[in-house]
Amino acid sequence: MGRMRGDYDVVVVGGGPGGMAAALGARESGAERVLIVDREPEPGGFLVQCIHAGFGLHHFGEELTGPEYAERFLEQVLDQDIDLLPDSYVAGLAVDTDRHKQVRVLSGTHGAQAVTARSVVLATGCRDRTRAGIRIPGERPAGVYTAGLAQKLINQWGYLPGRRVVILGSGDVGLMMARRLMLEGSEVLGVFELLPYSNGLGRNIVECLEDFGIPLHLSTTVTHVHGHERVERVTVAPVDEHMQPIPGRGWDIPCDTLVVSIGLIPETELYQRLAIGIDPNTSGPIVSSTLETSMPGVFACGNSLHVHDLVDYVTAESLDAGRYAGEWARGIRRPGDNVRLVPGDNVRYCLPHTLSPGREHTVYLRVKAPRGPCRIVVGGRLEQALPFVVPAEMIMLRLRPELLEGLQGDTLRIDVLDAPHDSRETPHGR
Amino acid sequence: MGAEPQGGQCLRCPIGCALELAHQGDTLQEVSREHCDRETKYVRPAVSEPGRGLTTTVPITGGRWPRLPVKVTAPVPRSRVMEAARIIHGLRVTAPVRLGDVLLEGLLGDPALRVVATRSMARADETTA
Repeated sequence: MGRMRGDYDVVVVGGGPGGMAAALGARESGAERVLIVDREPEPGGFLVQCIHAGFGLHHFGEELTGPEYAERFLEQVLDQDIDLLPDSYVAGLAVDTDRHKQVRVLSGTHGAQAVTARSVVLATGCRDRTRAGIRIPGERPAGVYTAGLAQKLINQWGYLPGRRVVILGSGDVGLMMARRLMLEGSEVLGVFELLPYSNGLGRNIVECLEDFGIPLHLSTTVTHVHGHERVERVTVAPVDEHMQPIPGRGWDIPCDTLVVSIGLIPETELYQRLAIGIDPNTSGPIVSSTLETSMPGVFACGNSLHVHDLVDYVTAESLDAGRYAGEWARGIRRPGDNVRLVPGDNVRYCLPHTLSPGREHTVYLRVKAPRGPCRIVVGGRLEQALPFVVPAEMIMLRLRPELLEGLQGDTLRIDVLDAPHDSRETPHGR
Repeated sequence: MGAEPQGGQCLRCPIGCALELAHQGDTLQEVSREHCDRETKYVRPAVSEPGRGLTTTVPITGGRWPRLPVKVTAPVPRSRVMEAARIIHGLRVTAPVRLGDVLLEGLLGDPALRVVATRSMARADETTA
């Protein structure tokens, strides 16, 4: 670790699960010199602070904690003789006449350097939306944390963020932080959710809230933060069907801490600096069927491409991105895509943005709203039934090569439609 | 009855499959499975005695970070999770530690419950992870 040479086949930006898998994928497809640049002092990304179990069921067939999952990949990375540069940023990259990339690296140990890469994978992960992202009114005291920061403070640095905590957001991160805070001796006064349902797993609602007697308030949000130096109380209020707080129905909760767990956004600073095309639906880059961005030879994967709910999917997708980047580095150019994939009814986004007939594709999509029994329809060519869909669960579809036969310059639309009435089953409780 | 798998949903892993259970009184007769046979393993004990996976951290000195993540190797009885956490938080560890190192045997007097490190942590003055 810490070794750095001047010339690489593939440079991977980010040393989390996406970056490590991309580097391994690149090695697998024949790239010899691979470098991972990571800004943290050690690789692993968010996994090192996610100490709970639940990772690896798909990839390893067993349930691992985040640090275990990370360590397994780190061992493979070191085995594969991949260079790993911690404490370092990629400040930018320029393309030279041979279409090689000059990657500018700012490193804690090596200072400002430039390395050459034939192809680049951006696996910069995602970050929490903050209080500012949803503009919660009120004062701006200490004691307002994102769930990710609270998690890092407790699990890595050993600090308790507060004693009496209110949590906004009932996704899995918020639910698991509620349990962590309780186990560490804080009191969690309630979890508040703007939506009429929780986006968290059923298991987490039971094991993280019900086990500890923590109330979950649906269709309720934090409308005001009070306190000068430190949070003293928050005002919460139920919301109407337009998700607007109902006047006069709010109440105050004395507390010293507000943890906001209100979603994750792809980290795209570098994409934006490189003027890479961004999809407003994912907030991540627009990619081809080889996960190549609008900048030739620059690939994207993991949570910086779109926020995944399972790290196993990040691994699968990033291995692919790494393989394509490795091929690119070896001079292999696949024929360009000629089918556009676009979201239709009840589809918030679908990836990749373009497809190429004659190849198998993995398509990732997310719905806008929860529905009972329904069917996914891909351009009238494929129909797949699902017992239910929820926005929190990413859907993965395999499109067989023959599915795209005869398409040329066409647009393929994905819709998620209600199932016909006669085939309805009982909706599953979720 | 709190031991009932909630809402016909398997809590064994994060997939959270829907379950269809056939009961006769307290006796579980049949579990229809969606993905795997883990729910069978989950549901049978869960009907009588729900267990919970437990992960937390312990203080570590001389390592890169001040906390070391740990897990308990088998489910802890739900009613004793807080007690188990308090015992684990009382442990003191010094770097270096290897992933899988056993830090405590026989948690709550149960030989199946071992507390193990879920990561390796070198001494902070060494350069490799």
